[in-house]
Amino acid sequence: MFNIISLIFKYIFIFIIYVFILSIIRLIYLDIKGIYPIAVNNSAYLKLINRKDTLPFKVKEYYSLSDEVTLGRANNNQIVIKDPYISKKHFRIVKDEGKYYLEDFNSANGTYLNGDKVMDVVCLKNGDRISVGQVEFLFVNKE
Amino acid sequence: MLGNNVNYRIPRNLLFIFELMTLALMFLYYKDTLNRITVIYSLTLILLVYISNFLLLRITSGDNYIFLIVTMLVSIGVIMIYRINPELGMKQILWIGFGIILFFVTYILFKRIRGWENWFLVYAIGSVILFILTLLLGRSIKGAVNWINIGGFSIQPSEIIKILSVFLIASYYTNYDKFNKMKFGNYYLMGIMYIFVMFLFLQKDLGSVLIFLSVFIALQYVYEEDRKLVLINLSILMVSAIAGYFIFSHVQSRVHTWLNPWKYIDSKGYQITQSLFAIAEGGFFGTGLGLGYPEFIPEVHTDFIFSAICEEMGIFTGIGIIMLFLILVYRGFKIAINQKYRFYKIVALGISILFGIQSFIIFGGVLNMIPLTGITIPFVSYGGSSMLTSFIALGILQVVSEELDFDEE
Amino acid sequence: MKSNNINKEVRRIIVVLVLVCVLFVSLVVYLTYFQIFKAETVKMNSYNKRLWINEEKILRGSIIDRNGKILAYSEKDGETYRRIYNYGNLYSHIIGYSYREYGKSGLELKYNNELLNISKSAALNELRNIVAPNTEGNTLKLTIDHHLQEYSRNLLKGKKGSIVAMNPITGEIYAMVSMPDFNPSTLRENWSNIVEDENSPLLNRATSGLYQPGSTFKVITAIAAIEAGKVGEKYNCTGSTTIDGYVLSDYNKTPHGNIDLTGALVYSCNPYFAEKGVEIGKDKLEDVAERFYLNKAIPFDLTVTKSSFPNKSNMGKTDIAAASIGQGEVLVTPLHMAMIASGIANKGQIVKPILVKEIISPEGRIVGFSEIEILSEGTDAFTANEVKNMMVEVVQRGTGKNARINGVKVAGKTGTAQNPSNKDHAWFIGFAPADDPKIAIAVILEEEGASGGTAAAPIARKIILEALNTIN
Repeated sequence: MFNIISLIFKYIFIFIIYVFILSIIRLIYLDIKGIYPIAVNNSAYLKLINRKDTLPFKVKEYYSLSDEVTLGRANNNQIVIKDPYISKKHFRIVKDEGKYYLEDFNSANGTYLNGDKVMDVVCLKNGDRISVGQVEFLFVNKE
Repeated sequence: MLGNNVNYRIPRNLLFIFELMTLALMFLYYKDTLNRITVIYSLTLILLVYISNFLLLRITSGDNYIFLIVTMLVSIGVIMIYRINPELGMKQILWIGFGIILFFVTYILFKRIRGWENWFLVYAIGSVILFILTLLLGRSIKGAVNWINIGGFSIQPSEIIKILSVFLIASYYTNYDKFNKMKFGNYYLMGIMYIFVMFLFLQKDLGSVLIFLSVFIALQYVYEEDRKLVLINLSILMVSAIAGYFIFSHVQSRVHTWLNPWKYIDSKGYQITQSLFAIAEGGFFGTGLGLGYPEFIPEVHTDFIFSAICEEMGIFTGIGIIMLFLILVYRGFKIAINQKYRFYKIVALGISILFGIQSFIIFGGVLNMIPLTGITIPFVSYGGSSMLTSFIALGILQVVSEELDFDEE
Repeated sequence: MKSNNINKEVRRIIVVLVLVCVLFVSLVVYLTYFQIFKAETVKMNSYNKRLWINEEKILRGSIIDRNGKILAYSEKDGETYRRIYNYGNLYSHIIGYSYREYGKSGLELKYNNELLNISKSAALNELRNIVAPNTEGNTLKLTIDHHLQEYSRNLLKGKKGSIVAMNPITGEIYAMVSMPDFNPSTLRENWSNIVEDENSPLLNRATSGLYQPGSTFKVITAIAAIEAGKVGEKYNCTGSTTIDGYVLSDYNKTPHGNIDLTGALVYSCNPYFAEKGVEIGKDKLEDVAERFYLNKAIPFDLTVTKSSFPNKSNMGKTDIAAASIGQGEVLVTPLHMAMIASGIANKGQIVKPILVKEIISPEGRIVGFSEIEILSEGTDAFTANEVKNMMVEVVQRGTGKNARINGVKVAGKTGTAQNPSNKDHAWFIGFAPADDPKIAIAVILEEEGASGGTAAAPIARKIILEALNTIN
């Protein structure tokens, strides 16, 4: 009895292990499209407009943008800002065929592009100002 | 984007199913001698692993894979150990539990406390003290004086020293300019490393010598500006390897056994040939848990656990384990590249190389690809101190994977 | 530039990463290579206890002779089984031994799967183990007649050599003796002595001993002569002949005068066969030899070393001459000579030798048996009959007189083979009764230093007589 089960299970175990490995590799691959080493120079980024010391939480001066970047309070965003007025998952910026698009995640306090509240997906141009919570960014796209 | 969370669920759940199934199989195997404590402990561990992976995902902004990979490795290892010897299996479960707790403790402490890069002397002196303690109090097991007995527990100080020396090297290169200005500052690090090596020689722990030197040379290669020091180091390594062969008889013996284990099949080649038998018998899919004969290999729960895994769970599982280690090392390197503070970079690099070299040496030895050394596989082999220090190292790695932001930029 | 420094650092880190990756990939490659190419041979090592685990759980089958006498069996010894060899030395080469430390030999090796009732495929065994694990192996019933085997061995006691007695029509081996032998029951205690013994007791001379056949080979040359139409030709034997400067002579150089083929065979005239052999030619000789299975692998229940007839492209006349009288580079095994005798007895048909008659399951069912198989047609019935008659004359009035049996027509041929030692081998091959052959035999006394007629023929006679009287 045990023998038969063990014989069948051994194939199942190998199957599980390899699916496990493959799923991790896939996750890593997906992440690579979002993560980038500091040394690489990117063409598009967000520049902080506010003065950093006026803000009661940690923000960076520059945030590079890759193919897909999410911003929010939660730790699993690419851009993490612990601003109470920023939702856990606030917005995302996606690069599609050379252009950058901003999509708000139905955040509590909304995202504002050049003063207008973002309802749908908007296309970003070099020089746009993006406001979320107490933070304002300048969208820079050198291309 | 919710996609991310969903994707992490897949490997986590797979791991959960894997653990449950292997556990169920083992309970069936040992159904006559099963007791409640065993069941409780093992189920608790499975729960602990699941919760830890879940929790970690929420609280860290850094890497999400290394812990997942390690928990899979740990699971495969503990099931095999339990199958071979339920008592040791239970102990291993405890060690893993402590290890996971230690992981979180390290994570918190290492993140909170600053200034690690300034304690060069602490690391150096601490290591030397540990070495001396080992020499004085140490007991010789399998030819190497490696262990200290404290109140019934055996610990391996060399495991702790490995981490300390990574910190040592990191603090050296972080303050490189300061050291450069000192007289002979350039040679401080090399000097201390060689003192360590000397201690290890005295302990006859040649496998650890290999590991220490590999880590040192790799880090030196990346960070040392005085390139000729790297070359000097390499040459010393090669010369002493060759010299070691001629001077130490048991190095010769190991090399001879490696070249033709069949000639010494009934003496010093017994272990490695039994290991090869086990691996050959397993085939690609293994004989099935509980259907092989791993007990024929001496020391199967430590050095040769990999052979036992290959016998009962197949070459495919063996390759899977190698791949998991490879991904772990790769992630560690990625973490090092991404980290902007030099001290933490070097620490991450050092730990990754430690994991990589250590596992390579033992896998290669067990397959008879390289001569055998008395090293254990991190996370997989049975052993308390190895498990705990490995989890500590993992905790440190986890911290470095996050984007650290110190005010003094 | 700071970014340059960073890039250098990143580059170096990547170098180290690549190195580590290469190391790991090589591990995977080596592991796969090992499993595919080396695993099979590695597994088959007697130190691999797994090979023996199966055995310890299964009652190894018994080995019995043609009359049901138990020659070897296993009995329970606490947790495992012990192998008992009832007759020790007598079957040391046929049955062999089965030990963990020393491996297996003889039928214990060749019929290991049948004796344990396991199949060759590991997968099948796995399946079997789950569904219906077997606990008992099969019994081997041999063609051997225990009485004849014992009788034959006694005749070789104290000597080096071999005896093979078989049925020329069915191929069944009644007796196969090789001396010196050893006791498989005490193998562990005596292993180093046995292994270092200069006389090689482990060697089964019947199947693996290669000897110059000497004059016994002349039956082949005679067959070639008949087929080439040289029967009636007269020849004057002067006691010796010179071929290409090489002198071939008879025993004591006694001239035989005017003789024909029959006479030459009866008195074993070397010069006759040497010259006729050269006339017949290498190709014809080789052709007949190979029809009689020289240079060919003989299928048998034990491993048989190939007999050889020289087939170099540049054979000179002396080589052919030497080969014609069974010297030079001609080498045969005693089993093979018995087969040749059988071929002549069996109207020219070479029958396959058989050692294992039946395989019997623990419940008593016959699960395997050997069928009579003709390996080749050595020569046609007419020629065989001619040579048979000549061989009868050999025993009646020629060199084989010591094989004469009252009331039984015995056909035979003697041989005294020169070899690298200075003591000749003494050969006798033959069969009886000539007109209705029931037994064929080959006897060789290694480095006996006496002629086949004096030393080997009497032994053959005794065995033939005993066989005709006792075997049914």
